[in-house]
Amino acid sequence: MTTFQRYFHTIITEGGVEAQRDGAATIEACHLLLAVAAQEGTAPQRLLAEAGLDHQGVRAALQREFEHSLNSVGVSTAAFTMPRPSPALKRPSGMGASGRQVLDRIFTGNRKKDLRPMHVLIAILRAEVGKVPRALDLTGVDRAGLLARAVEDVTNTTE
Amino acid sequence: MSASETPVPQDPADALAAVMALRRMADNLEDAAVEQAMRAGWTWPQVAEALGVTRQAVHRKHAKRLIAAGVKLRRRSP
Repeated sequence: MTTFQRYFHTIITEGGVEAQRDGAATIEACHLLLAVAAQEGTAPQRLLAEAGLDHQGVRAALQREFEHSLNSVGVSTAAFTMPRPSPALKRPSGMGASGRQVLDRIFTGNRKKDLRPMHVLIAILRAEVGKVPRALDLTGVDRAGLLARAVEDVTNTTE
Repeated sequence: MSASETPVPQDPADALAAVMALRRMADNLEDAAVEQAMRAGWTWPQVAEALGVTRQAVHRKHAKRLIAAGVKLRRRSP
């Protein structure tokens, strides 16, 4: 198993754990981003941390996006409280639509032998709409700059 | 808050994101509400009727999670 395959397997597995924690039925791009941010000592995690996005930072950004989106139609998460439901018994392993798009972007246009962990982060950051770009924008992260640094890193590593 | 106070967001991205957030909130609320009802002794047919879905649908969606959480489930009304 190559370094990338091991990393990719970890991201999918940990993405499932994040989805389960989130009460989601499938793994979405935001869960993959949380998994990437949690892999201490990897290049994508370091790049995210440099932009102020450690695991906790990503979680806070996603929560902010959730609350902002609800607020835009006049709904507040503070308006009522319900007991937290027990988590799903089984960890989701299937990909949701945004998760599948991330996988498509990883494996389209890249030769398998050239794949690096950073390609996963690049594929996540390439989304132009949806929860992840909105969360990063609301947090004030320079998405284009972050993507450029990720691409530069992978170009330097491949050369 | 009334609809007149909160118009639909002008930016389509905000409106679409609100749909996603409301779906997530409704899903979480359903999980919590079904668990609350079953812990309070409701039956599957009662919960299904209250949610406007079939008993099979609500059972398929929630039974395993609630059994794992140790909730005592009642199958039918006394």
